[in-house]
Amino acid sequence: MPSYMPGPGVDVSDPALGTTIMAVEFDGGVVLGADSRTSSGSYVANRVSDKITYVSDKIYVCRSGSAADTQAVADMMRMYLGMHSLEIGKDPEVPTAANILNQVCYENKNYLMAGMICAGWDERNGGVVYSIPLGGGLFRESYTIGGSGSGYIYGYCDANFRKGMSKHEAQEFVKNAISLAIWRDGSSGGVIRTVTITKDGVEREMVLGDKLPHLAKGWCP
Amino acid sequence: MSSIGTGYDLYTTSYSPDGRVFQVEYAGKAVESSGTAVGVRCKDGVVLGFEKLVISKMLVEGSSRRLLTVDDHVGMAVSGLLADGRQLVNRARDEAASYKEFYGEPIPGKVLAERVAGFVHAYTMYWSVRPFGASVLIGGVDKDGPFLWMIEPSGLTYNYFGCAIGKGKQPAKVEMEKIKLNETTCREVLKEVARIIHSVHDDVKDKDFELELSWICEESGWKHKMVPKELAQQAEEEAKKALEEDMDDE
Amino acid sequence: MEASLEIPKGGFSFDLCKRNAWLESQANYGSSSIIKKAKKTGTTIAGIIFKDGVVLGADTRATSGPIVADKNCEKIHYLAPNIFCCGAGTSADCENVTEMMASNLTLHRLNTGRECRVITAVTMLSQYLFRYQGYISAALVVGGVDSTGPSLYTIHPHGSVDQLPFVTMGSGSLAAMAVFEAGYQEGLERQPGIDLVRAAIQSGIDNDLGSGSNVDITVITPEGVQRFRNLDKAEPKYKSKNPLFYPKGTTKYYDEIISKVAIIEGDAMEQ
Repeated sequence: MPSYMPGPGVDVSDPALGTTIMAVEFDGGVVLGADSRTSSGSYVANRVSDKITYVSDKIYVCRSGSAADTQAVADMMRMYLGMHSLEIGKDPEVPTAANILNQVCYENKNYLMAGMICAGWDERNGGVVYSIPLGGGLFRESYTIGGSGSGYIYGYCDANFRKGMSKHEAQEFVKNAISLAIWRDGSSGGVIRTVTITKDGVEREMVLGDKLPHLAKGWCP
Repeated sequence: MSSIGTGYDLYTTSYSPDGRVFQVEYAGKAVESSGTAVGVRCKDGVVLGFEKLVISKMLVEGSSRRLLTVDDHVGMAVSGLLADGRQLVNRARDEAASYKEFYGEPIPGKVLAERVAGFVHAYTMYWSVRPFGASVLIGGVDKDGPFLWMIEPSGLTYNYFGCAIGKGKQPAKVEMEKIKLNETTCREVLKEVARIIHSVHDDVKDKDFELELSWICEESGWKHKMVPKELAQQAEEEAKKALEEDMDDE
Repeated sequence: MEASLEIPKGGFSFDLCKRNAWLESQANYGSSSIIKKAKKTGTTIAGIIFKDGVVLGADTRATSGPIVADKNCEKIHYLAPNIFCCGAGTSADCENVTEMMASNLTLHRLNTGRECRVITAVTMLSQYLFRYQGYISAALVVGGVDSTGPSLYTIHPHGSVDQLPFVTMGSGSLAAMAVFEAGYQEGLERQPGIDLVRAAIQSGIDNDLGSGSNVDITVITPEGVQRFRNLDKAEPKYKSKNPLFYPKGTTKYYDEIISKVAIIEGDAMEQ
């Protein structure tokens, strides 16, 4: 079972499987970030996967855990939010999306392995980040990290996160953090993908695996 | 009644040759013989009023309520068959609860009105059921401010500034049109609602009535509440006084 | 097991805990275990996107445990006139899931009056596989050309989907992927594309025990589909140096003596 995170699979001999995902609020929006490794046992099933998934025009989710489960959950989210925005006649809001995600993850907690981050921008709330961890639960945070690689960067993130960063600062923060996680976590790797969501729209960026910021900064021992 | 004896008015599953569904129109008649419900959406909230015709002097005051709470922020006025209307209230409560559960926020007025209207409409399409003999006003406050919706037995729903249903709907609407609704407050409009209901009440044909008043505004904590007794009494007295003055003028 | 014979006096019964512990102890005895490990059938399947279309490739070995059950089976299945699908895993699952999807896509085509899109097939397949939580053992490579151009996906048995320019699956996927990683480039021409997939499958055939025999190739372009059955054939496994039949005069001799022999009638012993 291809997966972004350690956990039980059909093949019990699966070694550590993982990912690094995060999302950060800044002045006027959010930045989501992720590595691009999907592993199946010790094999990298996809080295350029996209774990930052569209669910509505200005709301995206970061996926960690089982690839099949999180893809299915994201598909459901997209359907629910599509129907919801038709019903209310406007774009869905981030707290609504996060609540739906929590419902889906919590109701099916016994069947899913999905650790998700939901972030986006809406007119009423601005840029908002929610974390929905493995068994469900909904936590609003000004920044959040997830996946097996996140364990290596709590220190970096707590030391370097500030409220009210600029867009550029937030993007750099995300890239640095993911870069460091990739360096230490064997089951995170590939490229860094980021998605920046503001009032003005959505920007996607990619940092190639040989251009990781920590290499240039000489942070690698 | 051109419909009677033609056989086209027995079920909702067949149209008359000129494209009408008589059973739905009859359901409308059930509403027209009921007490009047008045709903007003003003600049700072919504006020609902009902002319509850009292069938017996021995009834306990406040029983057979016509103004009911659907959710914290939504109230409903039922005109027509109360038993039918209560089914709509129950449905609305379920919809509001399930919306809040799934989306994590109170149901918007438009969504609630459309969902209940869909429910009402479903009862106009099957041979085995009877359309609801009730119309409802749905009033409340959501993220976009105050709202007032009305649902007919046909399943049609309308968004209003001010609306009346039941026996006295025509004169009540005429009276309401005179009020500048987006300039008045709930406090001010209380006595107007009381006055309108008193003015449309037919003392000769109908027995006594009890005035029900409810509102959703800052003063009620943005919740649907019955208007406090003293305030309601005060509004009613002022209304009666205004009506007497009108009589004197004539 | 005695406990189960007594009539319970109330409270909890821990019989199942005993049974579970026993089952667990049995589970670790490898191949002789009473609990069968998930069967993994060997295969090499692969696909790439080239300049104007998609090339799909597969080996032709079907195995049943250590036995080669079929030396020349077909693993590239039809889904729609413009979409084909390679299957790895349990062959019955691949066969049936693709056949069912082919018929559903036919109905879809008749209903919409349009050519099927690859993403439609992929979505239907992945939702079906997800519903069965991995118990339908089909790992698929879906490729085709539609109104959006050429596209290529993999679907894992649990229902996860990946979209990539070059993909491999099955037990020979590592060998095949090594060839792709070394030789794939964007905007490949048709023949180099076919050759790359051939080399990848051949690598699976050569280096993976579960894969073998011949190479099948299917090329899908907007102009149409070309199917090459057994594009490369397996070489004969063993050729004896000695012929089975020896022609006359094979054995050399150095001398020839011809003698005349007279036979005298009568019994020699009589004398």
